[in-house]
Amino acid sequence: MSDQIQPAERLLNLVIALVNTAGRMTKEQIRSTVAGYSDATSDDAFERMFERDKDALRDLGIPILTVAGGGHSDDVGYRVDQEAYALPPVELTAAELGVLSLAVQFWQDKSLRTDATRALTKLRGLANAPAGTDLVAGLAPRVRAAGDAFGPLLDAVQARQAVMFTYRAASTGDVRDRTVEPWRLLARGGGWYVVGRDRDRDAPRSFRLSRIQGRVRTVGDLGSYEIPADLDAAAVVGDRHREPVRVATLALRPERASALRSRAVPADDTAPSDAAALSDVDLGDPRHARALVDRDVVRVPFTGTADLADEIAGYADAVVVLEPSDLRDAVLRRLRAAAALDAEPTARSDRG
Amino acid sequence: MAERATDRLLRMLGMITYLDRHAGVPVEQLAEQFGVTTRQVVEDIDTLWVTGTPGYWPHDLIDFDAASYDEGVVRLVESRGMTRPLRLGTREAVALIAALRAMRSVLAAGLDRGRTAVLASVLEKLTAATGEAAAAVDVRLAVEGAPEVVAALGEATTGARRLRIRYVTAADVTSVREVDPIRLLTEDEHAYLLAWCHRAHDERLFRVDRILAAEVLDEPATSHPVTTHATTFAPAPDDELVTLELASRARWIAEQVPVESVEDLPDGDFRVSLRVADPAWLRHLLLQVGADVRAVTPADVARDAAGAARSALAAYDDAGR
Repeated sequence: MSDQIQPAERLLNLVIALVNTAGRMTKEQIRSTVAGYSDATSDDAFERMFERDKDALRDLGIPILTVAGGGHSDDVGYRVDQEAYALPPVELTAAELGVLSLAVQFWQDKSLRTDATRALTKLRGLANAPAGTDLVAGLAPRVRAAGDAFGPLLDAVQARQAVMFTYRAASTGDVRDRTVEPWRLLARGGGWYVVGRDRDRDAPRSFRLSRIQGRVRTVGDLGSYEIPADLDAAAVVGDRHREPVRVATLALRPERASALRSRAVPADDTAPSDAAALSDVDLGDPRHARALVDRDVVRVPFTGTADLADEIAGYADAVVVLEPSDLRDAVLRRLRAAAALDAEPTARSDRG
Repeated sequence: MAERATDRLLRMLGMITYLDRHAGVPVEQLAEQFGVTTRQVVEDIDTLWVTGTPGYWPHDLIDFDAASYDEGVVRLVESRGMTRPLRLGTREAVALIAALRAMRSVLAAGLDRGRTAVLASVLEKLTAATGEAAAAVDVRLAVEGAPEVVAALGEATTGARRLRIRYVTAADVTSVREVDPIRLLTEDEHAYLLAWCHRAHDERLFRVDRILAAEVLDEPATSHPVTTHATTFAPAPDDELVTLELASRARWIAEQVPVESVEDLPDGDFRVSLRVADPAWLRHLLLQVGADVRAVTPADVARDAAGAARSALAAYDDAGR
């Protein structure tokens, strides 16, 4: 073999050799018999080549076992674990393979795309590629990039190994190191979070990945903690969807705030009429009279008070909140702060 | 761009699995199956043909039927025990299963029963084959928009039919348009319909929760090439540049809005610059986060938002509140 053997070919020869070996192969046997390794010009070059190849194959999920020899300590051999090599028996249809192709597109991160693509390549041998149009053509679900912290955190969750990272708390702007036993990674409402036990606080906490600064380092041993069996990770992140559903009563300018109108519900079905259903708001109250001139009153169900207050404040005078009072107060707080935006800087700093 | 050796290795192993299950596969079909060119398939087969177990005598090598190969059909004769598909690594399994789970939860509304069943069955098979490791990642995508609207968008997109929609913009302007759906983009924060708008004669991205009504029309959607990568909102370079100094609590703005630059200031405050295509959008934002805004440049942007807030407060005063 005068021509240099390409890396992919050398790797393939190594896998085939280690799958088929009767017992094990020592490094020396590999160097002298597996095609591609005789290209190494020195002992060092061979060592580097072999170590790199071994890492690359393990990274692909090929289980290479290290088998101790009978006598000498340097008489170490290698073989592929036959049991762990193969995927458990599974048959896929062409349509299912098509769905998997779509799943690869789901990820925006390069590393997750790479992982998903590799998985798909492994599964492609199991079914025919779907013919013609994709099963779910035109539907493109996807999630935003999780960033560099994702990979190390996922590895740490799998290994049950604590991590340390520098974190900026948005509520205070405080930047400091945190030591965390990571339990689960979540994507919710435009952000990625890691949920785990904060060792310094000895309590469950969530951390937004985009607020992690620099590298995530592992600390301590593998398997050093248990993930709670009854973990409710979404509750730790503070799922806003857990507030009870309530109904806001809003007075809208005609033709305005159509997005709010589209979510409006009719008056309570059990109530005999609109007026009765709105009984918590006394429309006959003279204080309401002027506010309701030329306005439509609608009822909009909601769960997150802060989210709805943000949305309503954005509509400025097109929407007036009649009920409930905590929502109305939340909107008024936002409007008063915004009304001071063009005040003189000295006056504004007095607000403290 | 040179392909990584590891990617090529996985494909070649996948080919042995496939060829073991299919006797005699044309090169073109193999290329389609693995998403590569026919030339690449020929290179891969030529490489497989010379690999095998040490010794590399003819009976040690992976072998194909030469006569058949001359006619462009690949027929595996000897596999050297490499026919079993390779197990998925933990991260690989997580990447596929977390994506499938999130897809199942949002796509069910827009898919017919048959397609939903395919999604469920592939998820079940993969979970059975890889164990529970995938529980480490949990993605929930946006579920928004009226159910009947979401169902109509799904039907029109998968069935390639034209839609008539009533849409309200961020600036609270409502209009009725006919659109040809291109893609339904469901993301973790919002869902969007990318469509060809017959009113604008251009591609437009419509946020699903602002589509007030959607009607599937009898006409088929004409197909339009996706000219831009308009799958996210990207402001134009000549839009007005606005600079905001914000308190730490408003950090989400730097994370969720396409900003030009972010600069950290003492005390956790930060400064962002962003291009603003629609002044109504910026006013909306400032009305929400006024309490966390330290400074706004240019000043007329602040005056505009403050004026809108004062009008709104006056409306509450009228209400006696």
